[in-house]
Amino acid sequence: MKRTILSLMGAVALVVSAQQVAITKTTPLLQDGHEAAFYPTLNQTGDKLLYSDADAHGLKLLDLETNKVTTISNQNGAGYAPKWGEDGNVYFVTAQVNPENHLVYRSGLRFNLDSSTSQVLLEPQNGAVTIAAGTQGMAIKGEKRTFVSATHLGTSVYTQGSEIVISTGDKERRYSPVESHAGYLWASLSPGGDKVAFFAAGRGIVVIDLEGHIKAELGNYEMPCWYDNNYIVAQNASDDGYQFTSSQILLLKADGTFKHELTAKTSMTMQPTCGGGKIVFTTIDGHLTMLTLQITD
Amino acid sequence: MKKTFYTIAIIMVAAVASSLTSAQDKPHVYINPGHGGHDSDDRNVVIFPFAAGDTAGYWESNSNLKKGFALNNCLRAKGYTTSMSRVSNRTSDDLALSTIVALCNSSGADIFYSIHSNATGVPSRRNHILGLYRGPTGAPVVAGSDILALRLMERLQQNLAAVWTSGYQIAGDFTFYPDWNNAGLGVLRGNHAVSMLSEGSFHDYIPETYRLMNDNYCWMEGWNFSLGADDYFGYNDFDKGALAGNLRDNRMPRTMNDFIMFGDDNREPVSNATVVLMDMNDVPLDTCYTDDMFNGIYAFKMLDPGTYKVKVEQEHYYSQTKEVTIEANKSTYCNFDLARVRETPPEVTSYSPVWHEGDAPLKANTPVMLEFNWDMNTEATEAAFHIEPEVEGTFRWEDSNYRMIFEPNDAYDVNTLYTVTLSTDAEHGGGMKLQEPFQMQFKTTYRKHLEVLDIFPHQGDMVHYKSATIELRTDSMLNNSYYYDKIVLTDKDGNALTYNRRNTKSGKAGEPFGYIRIPVASTMTPGQEYTLTISSEMCDTAGIHLPQTIVHKFTAVDAGVDKPDASVIEDFDDASTFAMVAQTEAADATLSASTDHLFGTKSLQIKYNADPSGMYHFTSNAIDQANISSDDELSIHINGDMSNVNVLINLESTDGTDYALVNFGKIDFHGWRYITGKEDVKLKKGKTYKIESIIIQSSTESPIKSATIKLDNLLKSQKSSVPGDVNGDGRVTSVDITALYNYLLNSDDSALANGDQDGDGKITAVDVTVVYNIMLGDDNVAPAFTPQPKPNANVKVGPVPSSDYIVASTNGYIQGVELYDMSGNLAARNGGNCVNVGSMRDGHYILKVYTGNRVSTHHVVVKH
Repeated sequence: MKRTILSLMGAVALVVSAQQVAITKTTPLLQDGHEAAFYPTLNQTGDKLLYSDADAHGLKLLDLETNKVTTISNQNGAGYAPKWGEDGNVYFVTAQVNPENHLVYRSGLRFNLDSSTSQVLLEPQNGAVTIAAGTQGMAIKGEKRTFVSATHLGTSVYTQGSEIVISTGDKERRYSPVESHAGYLWASLSPGGDKVAFFAAGRGIVVIDLEGHIKAELGNYEMPCWYDNNYIVAQNASDDGYQFTSSQILLLKADGTFKHELTAKTSMTMQPTCGGGKIVFTTIDGHLTMLTLQITD
Repeated sequence: MKKTFYTIAIIMVAAVASSLTSAQDKPHVYINPGHGGHDSDDRNVVIFPFAAGDTAGYWESNSNLKKGFALNNCLRAKGYTTSMSRVSNRTSDDLALSTIVALCNSSGADIFYSIHSNATGVPSRRNHILGLYRGPTGAPVVAGSDILALRLMERLQQNLAAVWTSGYQIAGDFTFYPDWNNAGLGVLRGNHAVSMLSEGSFHDYIPETYRLMNDNYCWMEGWNFSLGADDYFGYNDFDKGALAGNLRDNRMPRTMNDFIMFGDDNREPVSNATVVLMDMNDVPLDTCYTDDMFNGIYAFKMLDPGTYKVKVEQEHYYSQTKEVTIEANKSTYCNFDLARVRETPPEVTSYSPVWHEGDAPLKANTPVMLEFNWDMNTEATEAAFHIEPEVEGTFRWEDSNYRMIFEPNDAYDVNTLYTVTLSTDAEHGGGMKLQEPFQMQFKTTYRKHLEVLDIFPHQGDMVHYKSATIELRTDSMLNNSYYYDKIVLTDKDGNALTYNRRNTKSGKAGEPFGYIRIPVASTMTPGQEYTLTISSEMCDTAGIHLPQTIVHKFTAVDAGVDKPDASVIEDFDDASTFAMVAQTEAADATLSASTDHLFGTKSLQIKYNADPSGMYHFTSNAIDQANISSDDELSIHINGDMSNVNVLINLESTDGTDYALVNFGKIDFHGWRYITGKEDVKLKKGKTYKIESIIIQSSTESPIKSATIKLDNLLKSQKSSVPGDVNGDGRVTSVDITALYNYLLNSDDSALANGDQDGDGKITAVDVTVVYNIMLGDDNVAPAFTPQPKPNANVKVGPVPSSDYIVASTNGYIQGVELYDMSGNLAARNGGNCVNVGSMRDGHYILKVYTGNRVSTHHVVVKH
């Protein structure tokens, strides 16, 4: 019922706001015999794309200007949630099961694009390892040890359990603006640096300011990414408890007043990423597509 | 209920949150209780007493969550850290699959359990455990996931409170779901933890559904999950164990039994029992109770290792105590088979049929039902049951052995007084015997079996190959359930022909007889033999069935073949030229054109009221009045409806001084048939005739009130000059001999066109011999004597050939039999149903069988 009401609100807002969205270009990526690609991650300028396989095994880099593919890692988990650093390098986490004690050990790594080499920044440790991308540096936070690339990371956001952690300068604040039993995910700072979007399990996408005040709740969608400072792209999927039954990509206005379906529910499109005015997503069987939009307010 | 649930949820939230910030001494386990929200992707199984959709009833999301809570608590007690994807059961808790994976990954989990139960999705039922991991079977995407699944399956399989139909199964999801194109299970896709999805049992196996309603049962599964985790990580340092079991009646079948059950699930679970855990000095330590959800489950949690006594008490059962030994970090199962308290001797509290002298007799298949005050020892009670005269039958028990039903294998004898006695050897489940013998009596009616009035096709019939119809006619209304598998039409290779079920018609209450009329959808092949088999299981609404299976063989023909030697007198293409010229007072008929035809463009359809006294005369001025002489014969194509009316043509001599009548016989068939008429009133030599009218004549054998026949091409041709062709069909077959027999023995000339074969001006046994010799001479084989349909087609005679006795049988009373030789001489007579032919010469004979007011004749062969 709640979902229906939200949808209706969106429809009304559409009339009042009268935004118009046009897809100006649709570009299939990685055609011609490339393997299926999942978990795409665009860099800030939208000219480089990270991707992995369906199980997030390994991590590859696609240069969108040259179409050159570089393998960054072949390790388990490397492709799940890599981050682009402010320095233009790639930060990622790998996971390995220790055959002795059967525990999962996670490492933090950096791939230097200039030298095409990887460096272990955080030695393997058991427990959660999270990458926090700051405006002035990167942190890879483990439950036992943490790596930071600089004394001051600038503004960074990440989630931990049912908290959103926002660091600005020397201050780290933790907020729980909405109730979520299972936890928060997919936190990101808006390009303007004034808003944070994250996903609260059971609640959906929430936009807050840097003081933790709720600016808008956009609906029960997943994997939000900032298209620009005013718009967010997200995944709207449903399942039967075992497998996906539908999935589409939505464009949402960050103030909650507008929603537009970029793909149909039946398209099984998922895992959107944004950067440099581009949107890339994949499909259930790993076909990447890049979109560019024209939004008229 | 909801408030309690919410309180628990809040506690769990606090626990989850704290776990994420604590240091880890033991692994982190992510727990995903599958589904949620009681919505469309949840699984609701409707069980008594809950209505569909009632959230208090069985939902997979409920039992998954109970198991998840139990697992979470057990793991925390063991020092693990945990996360749960949900701690309540609202729609918002039904998280998307990719969200669950992301939550697991961000939690830093070492292993991931997705907790589910299974369903067959088809009417069959089973109950076993299934463990799935990501990847092809034997090659998990995340190393160790297959071992994690194995360790869990081993623990779950040890649950002796359940009934398993087979051992556990472990598979990779790519292999298990081959149609998913390696997409696999959504909660395992991209999951970094060693992960698996467990289908812990089948929730649509109803005894298991009731078990899953029990909190303790779900707790035990959660506990077993924790043991599986311990086994995987190699931990054995937890110093507590658990005990569970199932309480069942030691002999009484389950009262609620309208579902599939396996093994001990067939016995009544004991609800509302008190289970006391005691030390070895009988000091009570803990108490639990079985619920009222028909599962009999109890459990004691977190027990110190040692030896205990477990005492079970329930007001309707004898108390029972067992010793159990609890081991650390293990599950111990102790089931109880409880004996009911039965303090009084068994009695018959009611019975049926209740019959007293002077009451109307009962149908001959009436079951005997005895109802008792206790559940009975079935073996002893069946042995104590006697029926006189002796009848073979089958016992059936209902209502948890409180009700015994005896059903005769075949119908009882007719007009017979039966006495049922239950001796004092009958005993209830507690071993006490009946105090006094019980006795009842009933008398049966005259009717024992379903009587067949007619079957089409008849034995040996020629049936038009297109749009055939089969019909069974009986003396009472048929039970219309499931008769398609009891009436089977097959081709020569045994392949079943298909029926047009939608247009099947059957008799209804108030109609004069029972019938099933089935249009055949398949088109037959002319010239090929077909077999109609009607099972003896065919029964009427009272359950009275056929005395034996009936098999009719017939041949498909094309009734529409052109006859080049004949001329068409009337093609019936223009119905408008026909008009009714006379009819009896109560009769009513309409003439119209039909597109169902053999020749030209139309046929003439006559709808009429087949009242026994009905008679219709209709004609057309357009009929070609070709002169018809005594050297001619008339043939017509008729589409019949088994209305048993006669179709005739009335002829008038052209000089107006004489008339003749050509009879095309009884319409005792369905579909098109080519029929040559027989002269009821013969045409005189030297005279010519014209057609006066076509006549439809009802008779007492016309059971259909509203009937329809169709006519196509009426032909004139020269009479058959084939020697031996008695019935005028152009061939010499056994049918010609039967026609002669019927005339000689019964004065039945209905099939006689030319009986005087030797030209002596009379019909005698010599004519039979002439035809017989022609048959042998022409074909050089012994004739296949298949009698034509008889007035009573149910009379069976055999064996053929016979050397000792020839026996006649039917479902009615046989007054006597007579045997004639081929010259028409009486060879033997008997007041019973058989005749001794042991001293008679080999050869062909005729047996006349007298049943009621009917006589039927049968060709028999004596051979020593």
